[in-house]
Amino acid sequence: MPDADSQLMPRGVRRSTPRQFLLWILPWAALLAFGLYGAGLCLVKGLNQTHMDNRFAFGLWIFLDLTVIALGAGAFFTGFLLYILKKTELKAVINSAVVIGFICYSGAVAALLVDVGQPLRFWFTFWHPNVHSMLTEVTFCITCYLTVLLIEYVPIVLKNRKLRQIPSFLVFEFELHKLMPVLAGVGTFLSFFHQGSLGGLYGVLRGRPFAFREGFAIWPSTFFLFILSAAAAGPAFILLTTWLVSKISGKRLVRPEVLPLLGRISGILLLPYILLKSIDTLIWINSTSPARGFAAHQFYAWKPFGAWILFAEIVGFGLLPALILLRRRMRESTAWLVFAASLVCLGIALNRFVLTIQTLALPTLPFDPFLSYLPSWQETATFLAVVAYGVLVYSFSFRYLTLFPQEKDLSC
Amino acid sequence: MLSHVIFLGLFYTVLAVLSATLALSACRAARDFKARRVETICWQATFPDLPARERVCRHEFTGEFRHRTCDKAFDCRECQTHAALAAKRPQGAAPPAREVEVFGLDFPLDRFYHRGHAWAHPEPDGTVTVGLDALGARLVTEPEAIELPAVGTHVENNGAAWHVRKRGTRVRILSPVDGEVVATANSPNGWYLKVRPDGGYFDARHLLRGAEIRPWIAREMERLQAALAPAGQPPTMADGGVPMDDIAAGYPDADWDAVCSEFFLQI
Repeated sequence: MPDADSQLMPRGVRRSTPRQFLLWILPWAALLAFGLYGAGLCLVKGLNQTHMDNRFAFGLWIFLDLTVIALGAGAFFTGFLLYILKKTELKAVINSAVVIGFICYSGAVAALLVDVGQPLRFWFTFWHPNVHSMLTEVTFCITCYLTVLLIEYVPIVLKNRKLRQIPSFLVFEFELHKLMPVLAGVGTFLSFFHQGSLGGLYGVLRGRPFAFREGFAIWPSTFFLFILSAAAAGPAFILLTTWLVSKISGKRLVRPEVLPLLGRISGILLLPYILLKSIDTLIWINSTSPARGFAAHQFYAWKPFGAWILFAEIVGFGLLPALILLRRRMRESTAWLVFAASLVCLGIALNRFVLTIQTLALPTLPFDPFLSYLPSWQETATFLAVVAYGVLVYSFSFRYLTLFPQEKDLSC
Repeated sequence: MLSHVIFLGLFYTVLAVLSATLALSACRAARDFKARRVETICWQATFPDLPARERVCRHEFTGEFRHRTCDKAFDCRECQTHAALAAKRPQGAAPPAREVEVFGLDFPLDRFYHRGHAWAHPEPDGTVTVGLDALGARLVTEPEAIELPAVGTHVENNGAAWHVRKRGTRVRILSPVDGEVVATANSPNGWYLKVRPDGGYFDARHLLRGAEIRPWIAREMERLQAALAPAGQPPTMADGGVPMDDIAAGYPDADWDAVCSEFFLQI
């Protein structure tokens, strides 16, 4: 007699026993509960629970937001490649990409709700939009894109083994799936703009010469760099998560050619990104920064943020993985692929760290001190809650939904 | 002012597109229900999710293709490749034997076979009798329950014809024919339904017949061995024996839900 738990799992695949699964999710659930407590304190008592202040207004949460939104770009880019450019090999990971995108964006929105505070007034941003702010565009686009991801997630849920027995669900899913190219197109449009607008912020940070950038019309160079870097990091993050899930579950999830393809896509996008980033850095060193009254090397005099960060970001976490991912022979090795994808993801995190934490730590006036910031336990707990939430949503999705359609063919 | 209008206009356009997408899907779903296309759509939505080994083209059995996966959801009536290959087959060849025996299972050749292990036998009165083939019958021998459709129900090709419950698993048997149920019989060793085909004509182009049966069942038996092998172990070699009448009874530890799903093509 099949038990209720196994009746919910996709047919033809094996999953851990309920006891093993419980042991896996319990620590994450505890972490989520702890994080929610910290977030609750911030919401009830206010941002005095954090170590941010009026000078250091971008903390751990904004770093988290920028990073997960970049890593979650795999959803839009994979959807774009699959549904618009018809790269059908990516069917193998599209469901996982959508779930990862949904987790990243919903996690980012949750962290923003705590960061901005007054969550009951979230609708103010839509009803009283400050149309002069790039962040308004970011808010609008992220909200819309989260809705797109939710709509894309629905068919995956409706194809659950139990839910699909309800004919109306399956018929609705079937009809919705036919319109996926529309959703992929809208998702690409929205992602393009909000990734860009997050980078566009640095076009108005005139008081922060370390991060301030110029560009074309209202779009600074970072507008384009953010789009390109997110598009490069997204596939790398999908590659990394697919490999990680495969290792943890002990299952073959995709055919051998899928991970190298993701690596190649990431490498192809990463190389021009690194090239443009290098040009942008040279322009900043020789023109933008001196025009603001600072020699670029001054920004790297404050330890621990030495010039090594710039070198690591461009060479160690940019050029090196790009070269690995663009060499066919190295892509054929899973170890190299995973190593390079890890570097790409770390590189994106480092880039967003530099543009938030390091930017705010550096003095902007001769009498300004170098600021230091360490997140409070409430901030850290909220950060960890987002991570735990992501692991839990993904774990349940992997157990009960078909995230990797090739798994059942590879399991026999 | 213009930039505000453009910005907010874009935002509301996106919202309108998203709402329209959902509304259109819901409207189309409602239309499908009205047009009684539900069973067809359920099958079309299920078929791509079946493992590739279950979606093998029938022409692979006869060696006309080395590897080919069906992309028509087993509806060969829509398949140009099938039509072309069927036209090439010699016409007027000597009539084959009346029955095929594979691993002790008898498959009479006076009927047509569906890939989901139902058979369809055209009767002189224009109706079609539908039953379970020898392998299907042994997978669900002595079922706990049989749920037959009411007389007058319309069944769709590849839609659910009736349901069987075996070892707690509810198995739906796919219909090999479009039509109206005119009679039912609860007889596991005989027929289950009599169906009057739509338009009074039984189109059996999508069903297996004649020389296709032996290689198909031989492959099904290989898959059965693999499905019944303990987890993590390869299937054992056939020993020349024949399947038991009640295969489920011989494998008390097997995941019968998975086995039945595999052979009756359900997710």
